[in-house]
Amino acid sequence: MTKALDVFQFLVLIGVAPLLRGVVARFKACIQNRRGANVFRPYFDLWKLFRKEDLIPPTASLLFRLCPVILWAATLAASAFVPVLHTTALLGNHGDIILLVYLLALGRFFLVLGAMDGGSSFGGMGASREALVSTLAEAPLLLGLIAVAIVSRGSSIGAIVQWTADRHLFELSPAHAFACVALILVTIAETGRVPVDNPATHLELTMIHEAMVLEYSGPSLALIEWASGIKLNLMLSLLVALFVPWGMTAGVSFSALAIAAGVWVLKMALLAMALAALESSMAKLRMYLVPQYLGMATALSILAVVFTAFKR
Amino acid sequence: MGLIEFAAAKTLASSAVFLFITVLLIAAAKRINACIVLFAIQCAVITAQIVALAFLHRSVEAFAVAAVVLIVKVVAIPYALLRISRQLKVTPAVVVSTTPGQSVFIVAALILLAFAVVQPYARAFALDSEMLAAATAIVLTGGFLMVSRKKALMQVIGLLVLENGIFLAALTTTFGMPFVIEMGIFFDLLVCVLLMGIFIFRIRETFEHVDVSRLRRLRG
Repeated sequence: MTKALDVFQFLVLIGVAPLLRGVVARFKACIQNRRGANVFRPYFDLWKLFRKEDLIPPTASLLFRLCPVILWAATLAASAFVPVLHTTALLGNHGDIILLVYLLALGRFFLVLGAMDGGSSFGGMGASREALVSTLAEAPLLLGLIAVAIVSRGSSIGAIVQWTADRHLFELSPAHAFACVALILVTIAETGRVPVDNPATHLELTMIHEAMVLEYSGPSLALIEWASGIKLNLMLSLLVALFVPWGMTAGVSFSALAIAAGVWVLKMALLAMALAALESSMAKLRMYLVPQYLGMATALSILAVVFTAFKR
Repeated sequence: MGLIEFAAAKTLASSAVFLFITVLLIAAAKRINACIVLFAIQCAVITAQIVALAFLHRSVEAFAVAAVVLIVKVVAIPYALLRISRQLKVTPAVVVSTTPGQSVFIVAALILLAFAVVQPYARAFALDSEMLAAATAIVLTGGFLMVSRKKALMQVIGLLVLENGIFLAALTTTFGMPFVIEMGIFFDLLVCVLLMGIFIFRIRETFEHVDVSRLRRLRG
């Protein structure tokens, strides 16, 4: 029964991902006083792309086709470690936070390789920018997660979430507050959202992720888009699970699960709204201000790790 | 234990974290108006803390102090500062000698320093080490803001942040100073902000800018 539940929440995490992107886009449209596209638009886009021909540049090697598949598979594997409704995850006992961070890094590494293999100058530019951002974001992501892990005395995500869910909001330490702020900053950078990268841009000189996928088309592009949707869903769910897990169930009774699902949807909707408001109210940072932005996240996460030494 | 007592105790326990966060945000802020609003938020956290203390100790005097803090620091001073910054008609950017990333790193280091320094003292006198560290960190950050920011208005904000730290230290170590002295300090602060406002206007009229790093030589 628990196994079935774990598979279900894994499927929710990957299946709802396009919907989440649609919802964020819809909220953004509302804030900007537009009507906006249907929230299910990303599903139709994916369906359309999967049926199209996959065009490969004549200079590209086999790696070009392989990279989107590896990216998608690595992201999928990472999402098997994130609890959604239940405090355990599908592969929760087989790996810890460090594996999660580096599965995401593996996917991104192959995306960067694929972008450079495409041979266009924009792909190379996007790849070098992505490499910069991801190198700088790795330290705060890992340190923030480690701070939370030290406080709860367990490195598997399930153990951390269970520990937090057993306490209430005011029992959390300063380390949690700092790690939370640091991880929010990192999530925005990792998922390519506004102060760092603009997912809706059409200006090649400013874009990071969009420049990397410029050469891709058809099913490959669909896999990349789906993977980036899953990553957004995964990072937001991880934030919810680590810092506001209340409402998640430890048992498997139907009513508890229904409540957990409702609470999760509510939290994700709030986060999507916050993301849309942030994206509509801020301008994108200039590229060479991004290291400062991530430097702030690093300072906060270091502070979080050091604060774990002060016993509450 | 009633619900309100519980809420008061929790406010006291968690206010140090909020103070740390406001201090870090002030260090990261890029605009003067954002700094002023963050200063008001910091004062609001302190007000909540005084109210919680007053409730736990059943002290009417502390309620009065909280009311005065609310009026002077959360409303009057930020309002005056916002007015001054609007009338000065200078660019809204905080001109800094360190980048925001470096500022946050330095303030984080100051917070850690405050924690390390305060530990033996807090243990010896059985005080709340987190609150004492927060007070010390705010004093240090106020000093850092005054040193690293170049606009004259930011130096006023730095001084006010520093004063907040001293007030908080008095609150945690001796449960506040006598009421009359407290009132005197608030009055001083208000007059100080007004005088500094006038002084900044004079700087601008004489030099056409409010950048203190350029005020190296005395000119008639």
